[in-house]
Amino acid sequence: MITVDVDLKEMGQIIADIKQKVERLMEISGGMQCVDRNCDRILASIKMLEINISDVLEFLE
Amino acid sequence: MLVKGVDAYWNPILETLPREKLRALQLKKFKRIVEWGYEKSKLYRRIYDEAGFHPNDVKTWEDISKVPTIQKKDYITAQAKEPWPYGDSLCVPLEKVTEYHQTSGTTGQPVYQPDTWQDWELLNEMWAYILWAQGFRNTDRVFIPFGYNVFIAYWEGHYAAEKVGCEVVPGGILGTEERLLKIKELRATALMGTPTYILNMAETCRNKLNMDPRELGIKRILCAGEPGANVPATKKRLEEAWNAKVYDHVGGTEGGGWSYECIYQPGGVHVNEALVMLELVDIETGEPIEEPNKLGKIILTVFDRFAQPTIRFDSKDVSMWGEACECGRTFRVLKGGIHGRIDHITKVKGVLFSPVSVEEVVRSIPQLGDEYELIVSKKGDADVLTLKVELLPEAAGARETVHPELVRQLRLKTNLAYNIEYHEFGSLPRYEIKAKRFKDLRK
Repeated sequence: MITVDVDLKEMGQIIADIKQKVERLMEISGGMQCVDRNCDRILASIKMLEINISDVLEFLE
Repeated sequence: MLVKGVDAYWNPILETLPREKLRALQLKKFKRIVEWGYEKSKLYRRIYDEAGFHPNDVKTWEDISKVPTIQKKDYITAQAKEPWPYGDSLCVPLEKVTEYHQTSGTTGQPVYQPDTWQDWELLNEMWAYILWAQGFRNTDRVFIPFGYNVFIAYWEGHYAAEKVGCEVVPGGILGTEERLLKIKELRATALMGTPTYILNMAETCRNKLNMDPRELGIKRILCAGEPGANVPATKKRLEEAWNAKVYDHVGGTEGGGWSYECIYQPGGVHVNEALVMLELVDIETGEPIEEPNKLGKIILTVFDRFAQPTIRFDSKDVSMWGEACECGRTFRVLKGGIHGRIDHITKVKGVLFSPVSVEEVVRSIPQLGDEYELIVSKKGDADVLTLKVELLPEAAGARETVHPELVRQLRLKTNLAYNIEYHEFGSLPRYEIKAKRFKDLRK
């Protein structure tokens, strides 16, 4: 098995930052569907990153 | 932080999380989805209010059993009204729903299952855990011999295989022979299907195309929809027929792909306890079961599915806890996968009886074909069990040696006697999706 050293806290922070950016993008899109619908899909993928990484961080300390 | 097993696990953190931390994560997520159901769903609010339960009542692990269970009929009662067709079970604005599926409705009206795109991502993520654990990689060309439709079957398998990086070949509209020829032509390396159909494909390959399925190059097969891949004799037949590793998975419309057998083949399936909570409860008393080897009913909660949440869903499926697996996952193992459904586990001649035990016997006898049919009927006050089997063409004259062995093993494994009928090879029904081999005519 391969073992790696990762900074999970930084990963969690980056996930939060991306989410904020995408939500901001939706706010300023003016309702353009080509932006909103793609952002919606990105947010669903970000939710999977939260489930896989962010949600567990507090239990690793 | 050092993370071990980035190659072995889809998520090396969650899949190896120490049990006490996993439980803490589960409790937090459980509370959140119970609150969501109460706030957003008229259905859950009604059930909880009628039971005198409030989400604030859940403070510790022991409080989980205070949450009322939900039955398939509860969804049905709440549905087929506005917002059409999900009615009071819907927790999000209708315009957020992007996916429609439904249950088979074999017991009556089907349950309509809405999902948002985020829910759908979750269901595919659940299946990504399954596929990675079973060795599916971006070097695989996965052939799916199934026509996707209103049922959820294999939709997630398709999307998750893409997510894992596999090349996916949808073999839906083709017939069995065309599918086999396409597998050969494209040199597919992996398959997904019900154990029944994967066996039928092998039979068709040998008998109609004069090809040996073992030479097609399939390396791994994911089975779902029926218990077969965790019935040892059926798994053995499947693996020998295809010269491939065969893995089980258990899931469904309400719960998604919540479990998987890993490459260590521990004789059961891991429950994905990072994404769901599975409670095993005594069939009669409803008391929680924690010890291994005791049959119980599965109550399932999915933590992050929001359009129509699954919270303490009474699945009616029966299983038992097994021992830990050597793969390193801390997710518990359900020994033997699913053993049957509550409505199939019945008393025959006063003996508690699971039809899956007959499958293990039939498929352990090499002269018998893969298909069988089991019928329970009444003669006067007595229960009568009839087992229909087929002798393989090359064993057509072996009935006199097969029969005593079949009777002996059936008696040993089920403690019951059977009327055994031998039918011409190929005459019993062949199934593509879920086989209906057990018929209880007493009901």
